[in-house]
Amino acid sequence: MGDDILGTEHLILGILIFILTYITIVSEKIHRTVIAIFGAGLMILFHVLSQVEAFDKIDFNTLGLLIGMMIIVIVIRRTGLFQYLAIKSAKLAKGDPVKILIYFSILTAVASALLDNVTTILLIVPVTLVICDTLELNPIPFVISEIMSSNIGGAATLIGDPPNIMIGGETGLNFDDFIINLLPLMIIVFIVTIIILRIIYRKSLVTTEERKREMLSFDEHKAITDYKLLKKSLIILGLTITGFAFSELIEVPSASIAMFGAASLLLISKIEPEEIFEKIEWTTIFFFAGLFILVGSLESIGVIEFIAEKMLDITGGSIPVLTMIVLWMSAFLSSFLDNIPYVATMVPLIKTISEGASVGYEPVWWALSIGACLGGTGTIIGASANVVARGIVEKNGYKMSFIGYFKIAYPIMILSIIISTIYIIIFYL
Amino acid sequence: MNKYVESEANQHVMKLIQMGADVKIVSGQMVYVTFDISKDIQLAYVYNLNRKNKFFLERIKPYPMPVKAFNTPDAICEIIKIDVEQFKNAIKSQHISKFIDLNIEFHNMLLTFEDLFLYYNVKADTFGGIKGHLEAIRRTIHEAKESVDRVYFKKNPDNLE
Repeated sequence: MGDDILGTEHLILGILIFILTYITIVSEKIHRTVIAIFGAGLMILFHVLSQVEAFDKIDFNTLGLLIGMMIIVIVIRRTGLFQYLAIKSAKLAKGDPVKILIYFSILTAVASALLDNVTTILLIVPVTLVICDTLELNPIPFVISEIMSSNIGGAATLIGDPPNIMIGGETGLNFDDFIINLLPLMIIVFIVTIIILRIIYRKSLVTTEERKREMLSFDEHKAITDYKLLKKSLIILGLTITGFAFSELIEVPSASIAMFGAASLLLISKIEPEEIFEKIEWTTIFFFAGLFILVGSLESIGVIEFIAEKMLDITGGSIPVLTMIVLWMSAFLSSFLDNIPYVATMVPLIKTISEGASVGYEPVWWALSIGACLGGTGTIIGASANVVARGIVEKNGYKMSFIGYFKIAYPIMILSIIISTIYIIIFYL
Repeated sequence: MNKYVESEANQHVMKLIQMGADVKIVSGQMVYVTFDISKDIQLAYVYNLNRKNKFFLERIKPYPMPVKAFNTPDAICEIIKIDVEQFKNAIKSQHISKFIDLNIEFHNMLLTFEDLFLYYNVKADTFGGIKGHLEAIRRTIHEAKESVDRVYFKKNPDNLE
């Protein structure tokens, strides 16, 4: 009897703390990391789960992969590689704004597939602003295209976007699985997106021959600050990605591969580790840790299991129905909310639903990944990369309103989810 | 570093490199120090602490003056301490306002002279004339030094023999 009352108290407290924490995260009144750790702390303080259980809920594979890749990216950023590639592609485009938009979008998508989206945006948008300034062009079409490309590119690989890292970490779906299943779809979505943006912005992508000549005078070689470091970084990045591709064969999880790659790069580059470690996005890492504890608490008190049972009732255990619900719900919610807490909640939920099932739930996982990643392109607040991009352009005196972005991006996002629905039906259902 | 500051820095670096500059970004702490030594006079310093072992201290109030570049951060507090002591001593003089005003004028004069050379095709005799005036000011300073009592003894002057 006493245990029952205590159990009910924990259940109510756990749900209350979880809901209040998520509402505060969504409201953006307090930094998301602070409130996630605070909420996680409350869960432990009120004995919803013990400290040992809380630490056990943290997915260190996700955190290790994030930290390892952040270290590699921080070192690569110092080499000027991104500036080199951007100037090179702008020159290859001979200063033609339409071609520059396409090349920069490809560069962003490829970089986002390998690096995290925020980092990619932090690298490409400043270069875009300088190039647009030189060509006397409005950078907004370019930045919108880069935001969308970044989210699409990030969705294509295990390491491209945090939702995929979380899904991979919990399900065992590896680097190759993501490439094989998501890359073809993302290529289609990318091409369609760029064609539509090209049509929408065709009138504003015009510059003079004089401006083009000035842009062509840029020397991409000057951008490389350290050729030796660049060589070492690219070798390590290449080996790390190869390691991801063969992670199942060599039986080493992706976090260990990323961390070993990072350690190797620090070793051979001889850069002061402090200089690199202080640039790691610890707020993101702690945000993840807090979320894992919050969602883990719901698991501990049986809430996830309860919702999973209800979802099974609603879908009648039908994988096609569940896949479509997850795809569209993820896209809609992720277009307005941070997809990280959403996916952090959905991963244990889908895992619980799939437990003991005789048929494969792989389509549901792909639906979650596609919906959460592509949904983020729909609004300017849909993903961290979008918010950062808007911050940069607005600091440079350009206006990127919620509605202005929404009118362009939301229909494209809906179209991309329709394409994804067809893709999933053809190949998985 | 804040994401937006980093993005701004990236733009600057790209523009400066394309202009032909060799750009090195040194991470560090910018320290801003103020002392209110009287109701009207504030002393303010700015310096950068970094791992590259090259530190620049600059007094920015009551008038701008690069104080020193040095290789150890330990000397910063000592230099500021002496500077503050000297100013606290100097405000006892009834001429402190004139001293500060004159220093600001010297500083503004330097900016005017720079504009003259950078914006106009200056003739050689202009330099000679200005140099003559500077020599006169130098003589006045040295003659003044010989005719009055010294008031600060903890350290010898760096620029006035």
